[in-house]
Amino acid sequence: MRNTYLWLLQLVTGGLILLFGGTHMVLMHLDDILGFFGIDIGEPTTWASMMDRAGRGFWLAFYIIFLALVLYHGLNGLRGIILELTPSPRMERLVTGLILALGIIAFGLGIYVPAQLFAG
Amino acid sequence: MPKAGSPRDNYLGVRGWVWAGRYKIERYLYILHRITGLGLVLYLGLHLCVMTVFRMQGEDFYSAVMRLFHNPVFKVGEYLVFAALIFHGLNGLRLIFQELGFLLGKPKPPIYPYRDSLRRRRPLVLAMIGLVVVGAAFVLFDFARGGP
Repeated sequence: MRNTYLWLLQLVTGGLILLFGGTHMVLMHLDDILGFFGIDIGEPTTWASMMDRAGRGFWLAFYIIFLALVLYHGLNGLRGIILELTPSPRMERLVTGLILALGIIAFGLGIYVPAQLFAG
Repeated sequence: MPKAGSPRDNYLGVRGWVWAGRYKIERYLYILHRITGLGLVLYLGLHLCVMTVFRMQGEDFYSAVMRLFHNPVFKVGEYLVFAALIFHGLNGLRLIFQELGFLLGKPKPPIYPYRDSLRRRRPLVLAMIGLVVVGAAFVLFDFARGGP
């Protein structure tokens, strides 16, 4: 039953990542195509641009939610692949625990700098 | 070792992660979905570590590294990540539709001659592949123009 909910959440996060990831990738990498449509966002990877985004609550919330979504989706997918090797129940619990710990560490690492920059 | 006649007789094992034998295109899409997924998880880890460390070093270091990332080698790598994202995202959307039963038409009784489920889903597969090719070409256009 638990795995059914984990799988459902995998589908939901996958759909949401399409929205969040699509926005991130278009803004960060497709500035020429945006320019073609008359949208000028400047050079998004410069320090000034990054600091500008870091000071805005909307982008902080956007990236925290996006990070949580991709970490869940990616690490739960990785867990599924590892569990296809049909380990023992004890090893399965160990894998789940390690994946969870990795996710929490990565989330902390990922939000540390943006949160520091936002706090000033 | 599975017993004879058990459902795992057809189990390809770890070899099935990269080899699909005589299975149809959907099985190869599954393999590619998995490979791109693992690649993207690896990239996510690197991206998180690198961006965190670089930003902690301050503006000069960050700007120097960003200039380095404009190197053609990094740009090719970045395009591959983008292409993997497009494939993984659109194939994932197809899988969500299939899982939830969307765009598959009404169920019909299997009276001969009938189309099996793989053939009924095939137009969705082909449409997805077409969208991936268009998306990848679209992004290539931006990268070729000097992109990121």
